Amino acid sequence: MARVKGYPEALEKKLRDQRYVREDSNPEFTKNVKSISRTIAHMCYQCGTCTGSCPSAPRSTYRIRKFMRRAVLGLENEALTDPDLWLCTTCYSCADRCPRDIIPTDVIMSMRNLAFKRDIVPVNFLKTVQAIYSSGHGVPNNDVNRAAREKLGLTRDPPTTHMYPEYIKGIQTILNHYKLKANADRIVKEREG
Amino acid sequence: MMAEKKKATTKKTASKKPDTKKAAPMKQEVKKQAPAPAAKPKAAPAAEKAAAPAKAVSTTQQGDARVGVFICHCGTNIAGSMDIEAVQEASKRIPNVAFVDNYKYMCSMPGQTVIQKAVHDNKLTAVVVAACTPRLHEPTFRTATKDAGLNPFRFEMANIRDQNSWVHMHDRVGSTEKAIDAIKIAVAKAALLQDLHPKSVPVEKAAMVVGAGVAGMQAALDLAAAGIKTYLIEKDMSIGGRMSQLDKTFPTLDCSQCILTPKMVDVGRSENIELMTWSEVHEVEGYIGNFDVTIRKKARGVMTPKEAEAKGIVGGGCNGCGDCDGVCPVIKPNEFEVGMKPRKAIYINHPQVVPLIYTIDFDSCVKCGLCVTACGPEKRAIDLEMKDEFVKVKVDTVILALGYEIFPIEKKEEWGYKRYENVISSLEFERLICASGPTGGHLVRPSDGKTPMKIGFVLCAGSRDNTGTGKPYCSRFCCMYSLKHAHQVIEKIPGCIPYLFYMDIRSFGKMYEEFYYRIQDEGAKFIRGRVANIIEDPKTKNLHVMTDDTLLDRPIDMEVDMVVLAAAIQPSDDTNRTRKLFGVSCSMDGWLLEAHPKLNPCGTTTAGVFLAGVCQGPKDIPDTVASAEGAASAASIPIHMGEVELEPYFAQCIEEKCAGWGMCVNLCPYSALALVEKDGRTVMQVTEAKCKGCGTCGGFCPGGAIWMQHFTTPQICAQIDAFLLGGEQ
Repeated sequence: MARVKGYPEALEKKLRDQRYVREDSNPEFTKNVKSISRTIAHMCYQCGTCTGSCPSAPRSTYRIRKFMRRAVLGLENEALTDPDLWLCTTCYSCADRCPRDIIPTDVIMSMRNLAFKRDIVPVNFLKTVQAIYSSGHGVPNNDVNRAAREKLGLTRDPPTTHMYPEYIKGIQTILNHYKLKANADRIVKEREG
Repeated sequence: MMAEKKKATTKKTASKKPDTKKAAPMKQEVKKQAPAPAAKPKAAPAAEKAAAPAKAVSTTQQGDARVGVFICHCGTNIAGSMDIEAVQEASKRIPNVAFVDNYKYMCSMPGQTVIQKAVHDNKLTAVVVAACTPRLHEPTFRTATKDAGLNPFRFEMANIRDQNSWVHMHDRVGSTEKAIDAIKIAVAKAALLQDLHPKSVPVEKAAMVVGAGVAGMQAALDLAAAGIKTYLIEKDMSIGGRMSQLDKTFPTLDCSQCILTPKMVDVGRSENIELMTWSEVHEVEGYIGNFDVTIRKKARGVMTPKEAEAKGIVGGGCNGCGDCDGVCPVIKPNEFEVGMKPRKAIYINHPQVVPLIYTIDFDSCVKCGLCVTACGPEKRAIDLEMKDEFVKVKVDTVILALGYEIFPIEKKEEWGYKRYENVISSLEFERLICASGPTGGHLVRPSDGKTPMKIGFVLCAGSRDNTGTGKPYCSRFCCMYSLKHAHQVIEKIPGCIPYLFYMDIRSFGKMYEEFYYRIQDEGAKFIRGRVANIIEDPKTKNLHVMTDDTLLDRPIDMEVDMVVLAAAIQPSDDTNRTRKLFGVSCSMDGWLLEAHPKLNPCGTTTAGVFLAGVCQGPKDIPDTVASAEGAASAASIPIHMGEVELEPYFAQCIEEKCAGWGMCVNLCPYSALALVEKDGRTVMQVTEAKCKGCGTCGGFCPGGAIWMQHFTTPQICAQIDAFLLGGEQ
């Protein structure tokens, strides 16, 4: 038994009926994506300009065109549970070139919003939330940077919450208001124990 | 919607009483304004000698009117969205209504018979049909009214489909109510309709075609063959247009020049065609059957043998020998070769020009006079001081065949046109692959003259693009010519692979899909993905085409030697100016607007002006020629009829009220009004053939002395009253 470990499961997965059926499609999802993203997500004609422009696509399995297709068809579960959703760098190259004048990046952002409502969010994103909560920065300053800044004739810390830590409180108030910190802490705890 | 409607209804009821009192005297007053009505409708033609406004006028007193209302179901188009029974019952209660009926298809023969029978049986004086639009069926029902023995203008239409059932498809109560209102309004006017008699004006037996590409040439040849004198106006030095720039044509792969030149020669030879190249329409006056067109003959600096003879130089004029070309010191890029070949300041842009007459580009000519010497004392064809001339011609009908140009594809910066040497447009490709082109038919890379072995074709370059930079429409022939280009490179360069980057291959014509099959079989590679961007390798000048193979679901970085952009097309730059001269509208995308996209694609809303070819919208050559033949046929109808009938909606002057100030004369956009002396008084007079019935004068006249036939003040007031007072008179 040990010798075939993993094979029956893999085979079963391969043989599963993968056709998408009407129940997979949720028209409300298309509407929600449109209203959150404020772009005409349902108008995609799948030309591929977005993926062709995408700096993430050649180096990953991320295909923004596929997410656009899921937005058009209302394939909510497939879109929100795909880990690729979090690989967009938000460079907006696709938005610059889309011939249908859609903003695909904003579609991705709206899907991330909807995914977060279901607690679907990678831990590294949540750790960024925690970093912002504690320091006001997603990527806080460190000693290497400080040395580099000094070399360039700059202050060791930039004129942000690093220089004025008294303002961190304000940021924390905002994050608390949206329960972002509490949710991040809860989900990280659930995942990492 | 419903809430608003209810509000309107309450308002109507609330304001009914005071309004009735107010409206009544006003109506009385306007009634007095009407010119003295002739007693009997039938006496109208005999009354010609009577005072102008009275002659075609024979008012039915409202009280005597017997209006028939005919409600059409239009299948379920109307009946599906409203309660026809309720509409019919309500219509019966409208004043002056003597008969009401409904029918499944009122426009059908049985439907029209219903109208005719009802008119006879009920002695109706006017007909109201509640159905679709006047644009679609007014002529149908006018004829039915006429066949029933009434004057055809005793017909009024209530639009309860396009402006009602189609828009309020899900509001049955509201649309029923609205239909009743529309019928009330139509009945109010119908009760006051008068007999009108259309005018006929004789025609000239001459036509004009503007633009001498393949569409204009075909239209002119057809008109000429039908025995009609045709002026063919071309702004360029030669006829032939875009088609003469092409190498081969899809899907038959005929040589474009070989099939076009015989037509060009025919145009040059035809006795009925007066060809005016290097000319443009300068001014247009008049109307169908009577257009006065002023043509600017741009100074070409060279005389034709005819022109030379007129100046007394017997046996002189340009014979196309080209001696001048050899000595001219000025070198400019040749536009016909898309700037890839030089020309002189005195030039013909390719060897097959018709007419074979040289032309001087006065913007670059330095007037050195070397060409004059080279031309010699016998021909004396060159006149460096030539000025633009203006020629006036009279024609009945006009065909606009204004053509297209390539969208400036450098605006889509991601593809690098005009930035990267080896990115060319499809028109440049046509010239490079053409045996008579700048390279003698050898396709080479502009950067180094080497033969490309991998060529990328970017389809939908600027077409199907909603960003604002680009065109939202499909340019319709790019797929097919790109297939043809792929065939040409495979045929001419052994081992060369064409890659076609496409969104959809639209091969919809006769033998087109079969052509697609053939080209794929020949080895062309099709990649379904719109090109995201192109990057040039600065050393090799090779190009990296970036896209997504959407079928393989993988991003692509394809290195090719050359890229051809199948650029979108747009109306030619002079289209807007020319269309305005003829009063032709254009649609949102700039293409000229046809009278009806399906049923009248060659006509325009200006009577006597027709459209041929691409100026109406992108077309390939077969469609262009078909459209040209359609336009020629349509344009020849009024000429063969010998006269044209004008709608009798012209203004009339009520002379006893006219103060003779002439304030209306300058307002008229059609110069139809003039002041004349009559019985010792100055009064306004309308040239009926010129009047379009726009109502500008009638609305303005402070004395109320202008009577707009078929849109009279009493008729319009009655319509407003019918709506606001709910049909009470």
